[in-house]
Amino acid sequence: MSAPDLTSLAAELQPLAAADFVQLPPPPPAPKPAAPAKPAAPAADGAAPAPAPAPAPAVPPAPPPQPVALCDFAARGVHLEAVVRPECVVDAAKVLDRAGYAIDAVTGMDWMAQGLMEVIYDFLHFTSGARVAIRARLPRENPRIASIHTVFSGADWHERETHDMFGIVFDGNPNQTPFLLPDDADYHPLRKDFKA
Amino acid sequence: MIAPKDSPAGASSNETFTLNLGPQHPATHGVLRVKLTMDGEYITRAEPVPGYIHRMHEKMGENRTWAQYLPNTSRVDYLSAMTYTHAYVGAVERALKLEVPLRAEFIRVITSELNRISSHLVGWGAFVMDLGGFTPILYAFDDREKILDLLEAVTGSRLTYCYYRFGGVANDVDAAFLEGCKAFVTHMRPRLKFYRDLVTDNVILRNRLEGIGPVSADMCRRYGACGPVLRGSGVAYDVRRAEPYSIYDQFDFEIPHYPQGDSMARYNVRMDEIEQSLRIIEQAVAKIPEGPVMGKVPRVLKLPAGDTCYATEAARGRLLVRITSDGKDTPYRVRLRTPCFCNLSLFEEASQGMLLADALAFMGSLDLVIPDIDR
Amino acid sequence: METQQPDCSQIVKLAKLEDLLALGRANSLWPLTFGLACCAIEMMASGMARFDLSRFGAEVFRPSPRQADVMIVAGTINKKMAPAVKTLYDQMLEPKWVIAMGNCAISGGPFVYEGQYSVVEGVEKLFPVDVYIPGCPPRPEALIEGILKLEEKLTGKRRWPRVDVP
Repeated sequence: MSAPDLTSLAAELQPLAAADFVQLPPPPPAPKPAAPAKPAAPAADGAAPAPAPAPAPAVPPAPPPQPVALCDFAARGVHLEAVVRPECVVDAAKVLDRAGYAIDAVTGMDWMAQGLMEVIYDFLHFTSGARVAIRARLPRENPRIASIHTVFSGADWHERETHDMFGIVFDGNPNQTPFLLPDDADYHPLRKDFKA
Repeated sequence: MIAPKDSPAGASSNETFTLNLGPQHPATHGVLRVKLTMDGEYITRAEPVPGYIHRMHEKMGENRTWAQYLPNTSRVDYLSAMTYTHAYVGAVERALKLEVPLRAEFIRVITSELNRISSHLVGWGAFVMDLGGFTPILYAFDDREKILDLLEAVTGSRLTYCYYRFGGVANDVDAAFLEGCKAFVTHMRPRLKFYRDLVTDNVILRNRLEGIGPVSADMCRRYGACGPVLRGSGVAYDVRRAEPYSIYDQFDFEIPHYPQGDSMARYNVRMDEIEQSLRIIEQAVAKIPEGPVMGKVPRVLKLPAGDTCYATEAARGRLLVRITSDGKDTPYRVRLRTPCFCNLSLFEEASQGMLLADALAFMGSLDLVIPDIDR
Repeated sequence: METQQPDCSQIVKLAKLEDLLALGRANSLWPLTFGLACCAIEMMASGMARFDLSRFGAEVFRPSPRQADVMIVAGTINKKMAPAVKTLYDQMLEPKWVIAMGNCAISGGPFVYEGQYSVVEGVEKLFPVDVYIPGCPPRPEALIEGILKLEEKLTGKRRWPRVDVP
């Protein structure tokens, strides 16, 4: 199946993109360039030393990742990924609702080392097979984000589960009581600093 | 408080009572609790309460190595275990760009489709048993035992297989297995006709299922319900066609879908899917090539930092596995988007005003496996 | 004058009432439908045509604990589910027995890891167990063997001959 055309959708999501965007998980550090070889020692008979080899050509740095980017589906499993500002997540959901997308999943992520939490909203389109992921990053000390359950009713359960597991508060979701955990649970197990 | 006797039947009453369905109940197919607010025999609110079989699958993804997590995948939805393992190994293979030999892909397709048939047989038998028909489940389990014999000879397990590996499958299949698959296809086709004549065309079944639990395509879209629930509402969406994985694009099969959106439509979708799976198995057994069944896989698996996802069509709908790696030998995060979670999420909205007996027929038509919801 | 007891052994057998009751109980164990997870499917399969638990009088699964004799705990017990399991056990009438089917019911199964927060590590943490059937999931034949072991526990004798593997 050929990749669906998502350029217009990407353009609609561009105004909602996050301004300060870092790649998560952080990519591995780039390998250091090879040190130039030392000049050869002078020959015993006093001849001039061989000229130093030319330094290796500099590797051009990779282009900085964009918040709204079309992805290689064969490598990532999504066609379009957009990192949006947390306050715009309902608008992003409305864009996808108007385009006829279905809610696929809402995933929480705990980036403890970076002091962030992330919510990934996966969407899919039934007729074109397009897959879109919307990501929003929240401060880890107070992770709050608006609920999109007024746009996609199915997000209600996903958000309740994400709240259970991570403690992310979804403003506007009426029911943030424990869902998969026991009714008296006061812990969030999928946090990286969770101890039973 | 029960509605007073002199209130006219069907009139909404201010007096409702709370009825608890489950977590131990024969018709919930597992440990699901549904808090029902009832007005007499009619449901005013049905609130499913999951979590009674929450087994920490997503947390275990973080403290198991990539290979140690394989047995967990079978236990999420144990009736359709092959497709769950397929999604997880597919995600890792996608991240590592591993090549899977063609023979292994064919074996994966054959075993996944056999698993799909056995899952639909259990779903069908249990569904009809919920409606009061105790005989079809015995026939369904008898057919299922034939599939389990085939799969046990190859994988060693009857239920929770751990057969797929990164880069292929664990064991090769022999000629006896392929002959057995052909014999099963020959056995199953007349049985499907038998089931259609005896059960599907049964007037009691039709009266209990037709028009019950109408779910529109837009409701499925808003809730993310996929699989037979979506195909029973008229949308021909199947992950095997929308995001072709493995070698499904080489097979000729239809996507059964019915427009009515009621429980009968979902029932018919599952029965037709058994036939389509038989078609796929026939074609795969005829075309399977010789060759190795495991590709080249590094000894110690360390995925590059980043995330990737992989979707498969499980028996109950769309399964998405999203893995995130930070370069270590254990995943950073494994997210399982399971079909029954999304399928059940529309139960609250769709069951308002239903009779309790119809709500149970509706729940049976969703074909739930509760550990799939709770993970 | 001595009166001798007539020898009725050809027509009458005398036995203790308890033995008779034990035989009756062993021959008609009514299990509670308590399938929690994967083992439940193998429990259902053992009640179906191929493995046929009905031969041993035990195919009448009762949904109500008031009507059941034996609770076959088939599947993982969760901390959320544990109070419900204990309630069901308490609701069963004496004499009652418990079979722990599968690794999860015996000791928590494959879900036990250091720092786990959700699984009760074995049903014996809640109430006493009579028979343990290991497996993940155990085959239906293993469940039948477990039922026969329970019958042996009740009657003191194993009813069906063992198959001696050479």
